[in-house]
Amino acid sequence: MRNIKSDVDDNLEKIINTGCCHDCGGRCVLKAHVKNGKITRIETDNDEEPQLRACLRGRVYKQRVYSEERLKYPLRRTGERGEGKFERISWEEALNHVASKILEIKEKYGNSAILFVPGGGNQGMLHGVTPVGLMLNQIGGYTRMWGIPSYEGALFASMATYGTMMTGNAREDLLNSNLIVMWGWNPANTVWDPGTSLWLARAREKGTKIIAIDPIFTDSAAILADEWIPIRPGTDTAMLLAMANVIIKENLHDQKFLDKFAVGFDKYEAYVMGDEDGTPKTPEWAEEITTVPEKIIRKLAREYAKSKPAALIAGWGPARTAFGEQFSRAANVLCAITGNIGISGGYASGFMRAYYSRESGSSVGKKKEGPIKQSKEEIKPKKPRPQDNLVDFNAPPRKDALYKLRGGTNPASTRIHFNDYYNLILQGTKGGYPADIKMAYICGTNRLNQCANVNKGVKALKSLEFIVTHEQFMNPTAKFADIILPANTFMERNDVAVPWLGSPYYIYLNKAIDSLYETKSDLEICRELSKKLGIKSSLLDLPEDQILQIFTSPRKDIKSYNKMKKDGYFKVNVEEPFVAFKKQIEDPENYPFPTLSGKIEIYCEHIAEKNNPLMPAIPKYFSHDEHYDSPLAKKYPLQLLTPHNKRRTHSSLHNLPWLEEIEPHAAWISPIDASIRNIGNEDLIDVYNDRGRIRIPAKVTDRINPGVICVYQGAWYDPDENGVDRGGCANVLTKDEHSPGGAFPMNSSLVEIELYQKVQRENKE
Amino acid sequence: MTQLGFYFDQTRCTGCFTCSVACKDWHDIPAGPVNWIRVKSIEKGKFPSLFLAYLTMSCNHCADPPCVKACPTNSITKREKDGIVVINREKCIGKDECGFKCLKVCPWDAPQFKNELNSKMEKCDLCLDRLEKGQQTICVEACPMYALDVGLMEKLHEKYGVYLEAEGFLNNEKIKPSIIFKPKKSN
Repeated sequence: MRNIKSDVDDNLEKIINTGCCHDCGGRCVLKAHVKNGKITRIETDNDEEPQLRACLRGRVYKQRVYSEERLKYPLRRTGERGEGKFERISWEEALNHVASKILEIKEKYGNSAILFVPGGGNQGMLHGVTPVGLMLNQIGGYTRMWGIPSYEGALFASMATYGTMMTGNAREDLLNSNLIVMWGWNPANTVWDPGTSLWLARAREKGTKIIAIDPIFTDSAAILADEWIPIRPGTDTAMLLAMANVIIKENLHDQKFLDKFAVGFDKYEAYVMGDEDGTPKTPEWAEEITTVPEKIIRKLAREYAKSKPAALIAGWGPARTAFGEQFSRAANVLCAITGNIGISGGYASGFMRAYYSRESGSSVGKKKEGPIKQSKEEIKPKKPRPQDNLVDFNAPPRKDALYKLRGGTNPASTRIHFNDYYNLILQGTKGGYPADIKMAYICGTNRLNQCANVNKGVKALKSLEFIVTHEQFMNPTAKFADIILPANTFMERNDVAVPWLGSPYYIYLNKAIDSLYETKSDLEICRELSKKLGIKSSLLDLPEDQILQIFTSPRKDIKSYNKMKKDGYFKVNVEEPFVAFKKQIEDPENYPFPTLSGKIEIYCEHIAEKNNPLMPAIPKYFSHDEHYDSPLAKKYPLQLLTPHNKRRTHSSLHNLPWLEEIEPHAAWISPIDASIRNIGNEDLIDVYNDRGRIRIPAKVTDRINPGVICVYQGAWYDPDENGVDRGGCANVLTKDEHSPGGAFPMNSSLVEIELYQKVQRENKE
Repeated sequence: MTQLGFYFDQTRCTGCFTCSVACKDWHDIPAGPVNWIRVKSIEKGKFPSLFLAYLTMSCNHCADPPCVKACPTNSITKREKDGIVVINREKCIGKDECGFKCLKVCPWDAPQFKNELNSKMEKCDLCLDRLEKGQQTICVEACPMYALDVGLMEKLHEKYGVYLEAEGFLNNEKIKPSIIFKPKKSN
């Protein structure tokens, strides 16, 4: 049912306070100018400081909302899966079809046959995956996945070392650092909460030295840093170990801090100095691995240890590797060794949430928040609550989960790692997986594009009985659905958004315009579908505003819900910038770290229990079967990186002309690698390995390490009749495995490239 | 004479293109060759000793604008009260008939044209519509790095100094562009 009368139509131009809410590193203010029910222009925060200024991804929104490519009506597939042939059907028909398939599969195979594939592409407290999860819980649950491609390695390391995700300092505290090390961290493109790059620039203007370590001369390395240290991908842990080696050898470590606040330094020292395995992790040892000259490693080690307070900020990119958690753990440990934790101007690295999170609501700020006393024996069958997913309820903890720690990760063993998703579908219980999947309920995600190993994904999705998706555009994943339910955008509904990494503010997204065409919000879809599924009463039936008030009520720092709604944001007044672990350092008696030992765990007993040699209790460097020194490197000599670029949010915003013209999709390669293959700038090249082949223009640039190729993730998969992806989707080449700690090896693939076609130069003149 | 102009902090610009998208949105300019504000990257050096700077450039509303003199139909004028150089698109006869005379004399490619037969010149007007309401230009309000400012030139000089050149930008003393910089220096 369409709204009979619009509540925003008006001949006069109105400004609607809303915000940008994709799965990016921001959550920013947008002010939509609306005339005659149509968005005419967008402004951003121009009110009090600190302003939450949107980047180009928010400014483009008019073009996205009114894109001709929007999905307008419910669709039913008529061609083969992936072919993109659909017919228009009514909502009634579409929802009846979806409901009957869900009920049929539930009846025939049980709830575990239903796989929920969630994503953050269309989010908010009220929309995106929330209502779908609630609805599927109410019919008895579903098989779900664990692991986030962006940060699982960093999260695991954060929990193992500190027992919490709340490990970041407020951005303004960067002004108090003497040195900032941006390690595989590119906030100029990835944002990391609005204002991050601005605070880095201000710190530098105040005299703070900034050093960037990255295989790419990123915008952050080039503009925000004083110095760039290029490094071979996947070897960051070796460099961190060598820095620890120098610091310990030269007695630059903070022994007092370690004695008081950490456990296991002796074991780490034994490994780093070579007593454990006979290999001292010296800068010379690391130079061979990392390509970073030993002199530079020594210099940086000394500089970091002597510049206290210094902020080592370990980005998530180097943790999106085959042993990603080892990088994050080693970075956390270096912060501890130098005593840079819990002090203004220092930084603990870790997951890097600051100020607020789902955790802080229950633990931070209270006395005696650790150590956590929970043992394996204490896990007893519980009674399910309405919000529990019955399929994974009361399951024993999954292998290698840090299940004794509170928050951050959910350890249910029925959950499947996101990078095992296709194996799960293709192999099921016969392959040792906990379920036989018959249908996928996809919401807010172009998952085929954004999960590793797209070609295996194609096989997996083709094998299912039924696929339904809520989508805004006909992206590569939607082409595989049997029913597409057209979802509206955040401009067409009310919602609340929580900052991405916990800066002290909230965004209220006021509905700017009515839903276009026949689109509906995820909430509306689930309300209607719930009825057809026989769900008698649901939280979703409450008025929108009431649900939002319920969802926001635990967040006591929203002093006025109404003001937030009126202004489109609520900026929380904080007395002083948040410094993670300040209380743990100032008052350790009353505020132990929320780990099992109550201290920073350089050696993590909880990991040691797993007895997994590839997940050691202290951070270690490992090679792997797609590393630069593996036998496969003979066949595929280039290391592939798949980071974010400046114009997309994952695969969202891919199809917008204003953004496309800024940075055409291209693979970055160094002139050295290009010239030996007769490849010139803008030539069309094939990038391939055993998993697939993509065709993409080359950008020949000195801004990348030789031996490395960079294909920015998020471009849409577009196979030709031979299966060659003309869209340049990076995940055609990535590996669908994960590290013991759950890290996604998105930056650990080996590839080769070859010239496909020289660029036609005559058109260019 | 009262003169409005730009300040650009090149040390801060990360090349994010937010100014450019905000400008296209505000002035309703489709993707394509017309860019009232452009972001250029300047790369120098060889791996691993590299230099990168960005330069945003719109119209510099020059003190002595050559485009005004070059225009055969006098459709470009400089406003007395604030020095903004404006185009009267009704008088402009179009690029093919005129032969890009304004563009040819502009050192910074401020005049912009669609890829259509005889399309008329358009360019940055310092967001006149916003200025008249006492608002800042859309690019200044958009910049996440606070790297842009627009104001009276004497005020900008007071606030930011007198750097007339930056990486990728050479001053032209004859025509006096109304822009000052905090330049990013290559080593």
